[in-house]
Amino acid sequence: MDFQLPPYDLKMMLPEIFLFLWALVVFTFDLLTNRKKETAIGYLTLVGILITGVLLAFTGYGRGFGNMFFNDPMARFFKIIFLGAAFMAVGSSFGILKQRIRNHRGEYFGLILLSTVGMMFLASSQELLSLYIGLELTTIPLFVLAAFYKDDKLSVEAGIKYFIVGAFSSALLLYGISFLYGMSGTTDIVQMKINLAITHLTFTNIGMTLVIAVVTMLAGIGYKLGLPPFHQWVPDVYEGSPTPVAAFLSIGSKAAGLVAFAKIFVNGLSAFHGPEMLPNDWGQLVALMAILAMVLGNTVAIWQTNIKRMLGYSSIAQAGYIMIGMVTMNVYGLSSVAFYMFAYMFANMGAFAIVTVFEDKTGSTQIASYRGLSKSAPGLSLTLAIFLLSLAGIPPLAGFLAKYYVFAAAVEKANSADSASWLYWLVGVGLITTVFSLYYYANIIKQMYFSREDSPYKIPVSAPAMMVIAICLIGVILFGVWPEPILQFAGDIPASFGFIAR
Amino acid sequence: MSLDLAIFVISALVAVFGATMMIFQRNPVASVLYLILSLVGQAVLYVQLGAAFVGAVLIIVYSGAILVLFLFVIMMLNLRSSADLGEPSPPVSRFVKYFVSCLIFLELSFIIRESLGAGSTTSAGIVTMADDSFGSVESVATLLFTRYLYPFELTSVLLLSAIVGAVIIARRATEDELPPQPEKAVGPISQKTNEGQE
Repeated sequence: MDFQLPPYDLKMMLPEIFLFLWALVVFTFDLLTNRKKETAIGYLTLVGILITGVLLAFTGYGRGFGNMFFNDPMARFFKIIFLGAAFMAVGSSFGILKQRIRNHRGEYFGLILLSTVGMMFLASSQELLSLYIGLELTTIPLFVLAAFYKDDKLSVEAGIKYFIVGAFSSALLLYGISFLYGMSGTTDIVQMKINLAITHLTFTNIGMTLVIAVVTMLAGIGYKLGLPPFHQWVPDVYEGSPTPVAAFLSIGSKAAGLVAFAKIFVNGLSAFHGPEMLPNDWGQLVALMAILAMVLGNTVAIWQTNIKRMLGYSSIAQAGYIMIGMVTMNVYGLSSVAFYMFAYMFANMGAFAIVTVFEDKTGSTQIASYRGLSKSAPGLSLTLAIFLLSLAGIPPLAGFLAKYYVFAAAVEKANSADSASWLYWLVGVGLITTVFSLYYYANIIKQMYFSREDSPYKIPVSAPAMMVIAICLIGVILFGVWPEPILQFAGDIPASFGFIAR
Repeated sequence: MSLDLAIFVISALVAVFGATMMIFQRNPVASVLYLILSLVGQAVLYVQLGAAFVGAVLIIVYSGAILVLFLFVIMMLNLRSSADLGEPSPPVSRFVKYFVSCLIFLELSFIIRESLGAGSTTSAGIVTMADDSFGSVESVATLLFTRYLYPFELTSVLLLSAIVGAVIIARRATEDELPPQPEKAVGPISQKTNEGQE
């Protein structure tokens, strides 16, 4: 038996390896300083994320481990989003470290880093096995982070709920992946695409097995993304877990799920899309889930009294908008998804950062306690208003362009072929529910600005939190008026998935 | 009757016997022990098919780890007989159980029928046929440490994060690490109200 190692190029995964080692440094630093330096350890983590970002910039495109590790534009773009989300989550965690988390501070930051490492590996995996392990590495630290307030009933509940849902959805995903492996005989996504196409051509109908695979994998990833009917965990987990963790969940975990979806469905199962491929069509199934997400997320959010629950439902709705871009299988689809996620990161992380700062001071996450905030904290109220308007999609903020590009991609596809006209429905529902969403976002602005009461709160903002809010504010406004660099970058993504502009 | 056949018959009977007894036991502990017996019988079948590795994994992972864990849980909950398990389940959930069992039975028999004889052409030509070394320790190890080295190494990072997480969840906080308690008396789980402490 001859043993042959695949050619490996560790240079390619330098950022990931560095971030992993940095997580170990953070763990150890906490122990060496007797768990006393809570601010220093936070800055240490921020520095680690920044260095990883620099390393990422100097890592070129290419493959790292045989065919398994792939640095393509998609991987790089989403790695930036992951690092950005981790940076902002860590930056807004300084307040809770002082007040709520008296132990395991090193582990708190280390686990955020480890989860980010998992996301980065996931974004680069070109093969189902490492994709699955990357997804697990993303979620397992998040279970612990969600339950980090061990003395708080809600947080423990959030942790257990997230754990059960996460373990169940991973099992479902793995079940579907095992079917795909059985049908194609390979775990490599590109090879799988070819093999499935050959099987499909030879037997003309690949049969019910692929239906089972598609449905179980959709359920698994649907749980991760919080798409209805797999969304029930989202508001509870967001409400219970520490607010920066909820923010990290809403961006990092969601982007990781999107990458997994793009790799398995948009790339691996790209042939089985569109009504002519029934019963193996995943496109309309996802479209149905997206419609449900937009309608349900946006309507239920209206009745929420807790701002974290409201942002949870809002994130369900946003996942619905993002999925419009996913099912649009053309040149603009994936790049619009990437841009959406990028713009969403700034707006959502910013909103969550302000909610965190507010909670640190007042201990409240009720929407009612934001009444009259504009008088006692005018700057903070204005920024929160800007973030919420961006989430709703009001020009000239980045959220508007994000929604515009997703809808434009879908309309372009629907115009191009008769068989894709079902995408009009998706866009229609998206436009109508955007109007709904304005109501609950504007409700908070109304509470802050048009309430007669005076808010008793003066909100102090720590330096790192100020930095996070400033970055988000700049991102939301700058990329709203000048999106070209991001669009150019995102425009490279579809090419590596085989979508070539005509 | 050849030795091969004799071993097959004996281990198959042991597996079926164990599985049957497992269902009919009233005592959960005995039930788990019968399940282990059934798994040992199945492991022999795998070894006989040439998949020694799968057989070993079945014993190590299932009998060794998972079922011992089951046993611990059962003993910790102190369930002596089925009476301790509480009320019998309502008819609806019993119907669901039978329904799902029948479904799995039908599915299995469908798959077995498909994979026997001429029915086994599904996606032929792509799935490589098993050779002699299929399922042996060598072939699994070769794949694990060459082609799949990257996911294999990634697993170690995953395990590390799981260990760290488990320690955090399980460890009891010492006195000075606890957050400052509010004035009113609270139990081990402080009831943080959602209304905010204004």
